[in-house]
Amino acid sequence: MTETIAVLFIFFILILFGIIFYAKYQQVAFKDKQEELLAARAMDSTLKTLFLPELICSKGEAEPEDNCFDLMKLKYANETFGKHMDDYYFNIFSYARISITETYPNSDNKWVIYDKEKVKEDGNGTLVPNWDRREPTYFIVTIRDENNEQGQPEYRLGYLTVEAYS
Amino acid sequence: MLISKRKSGQMEMIGLVIIVILLSLGMLFMAQFALSEDGKKKIFTRKGLAYSTVSALMKTTVMDVDCTNNYGKWTKPQIGKDILEDCAKNFDYSPGGYSLYTCQGMHSCEFLEKEITLLLNETLGEWNKGYVFRSKLIKATGDKPELIMGPIQSGGGCPKSKERDGSGLFPIHTEAGLVETELFLCD
Repeated sequence: MTETIAVLFIFFILILFGIIFYAKYQQVAFKDKQEELLAARAMDSTLKTLFLPELICSKGEAEPEDNCFDLMKLKYANETFGKHMDDYYFNIFSYARISITETYPNSDNKWVIYDKEKVKEDGNGTLVPNWDRREPTYFIVTIRDENNEQGQPEYRLGYLTVEAYS
Repeated sequence: MLISKRKSGQMEMIGLVIIVILLSLGMLFMAQFALSEDGKKKIFTRKGLAYSTVSALMKTTVMDVDCTNNYGKWTKPQIGKDILEDCAKNFDYSPGGYSLYTCQGMHSCEFLEKEITLLLNETLGEWNKGYVFRSKLIKATGDKPELIMGPIQSGGGCPKSKERDGSGLFPIHTEAGLVETELFLCD
């Protein structure tokens, strides 16, 4: 009888350890899953941005160029995105920040085309950030400038940054 | 009586050991599945970034420095279409000899190596990515590829032992032969 009780006791202790271990694992797995979903959203937004007709290098009916943004379109994108942020672009990008930075030849050029941060009102009525993490995704792109003296398109080097807010 | 009790105790212990082994196996499987899912996402991101990097680099126009062509005229060549092709054609005269394009007073191969090192360092290097970039020239079918640029690398490069992804080959047909450019990325 005593032996059976001892064996059962050890058995339940082992089960308890198993449950604790599983619960801890689930906590970590849940966090990982959240991070993964955020990264997937950032990746989705990056792909959508790369193929946005508002930015992509196009020429008449010819096939648009891969990984390329038109400089002229970029300069005016902020205005277009700002006008239709809530009624159109929010459905595509949700809470995120999208920017394009030129690295060559002028590393000072940067265009923030979309910025919708998750915010909440604190006790004083001021808006404070309401997000835990942001996941940046980078993609290297070319920026085509057709507005130059030679009339030949020039390609600058830059990168697209999409930061998704959780 | 005593022997039979001992026997049943032993049986129970064996049963417990089996349960513990089964539980451990279950948890190992779970952990393995969780890890493999994360890997897929990373591979996709690395591949996309590697491809976009080479594609953008090849198109980039050299603008900030003085480049002259054969006739000594100031020009704005593209990295892939003009300078890399010129480097492949005149690789044998590198570094001090003749090349169609001369940028900052350098042979096209020398200039290209310096410029690409700088550009990769300002982007991938800034994001702490390990990378290896190289261009090879294949003069004729069956010939051994000749390294004309690189390997340009950072973070100890990307040996096969590391988890890495490549951009795929970017081929350019030139008078000298086929130039294949490839970039490997690793975390």
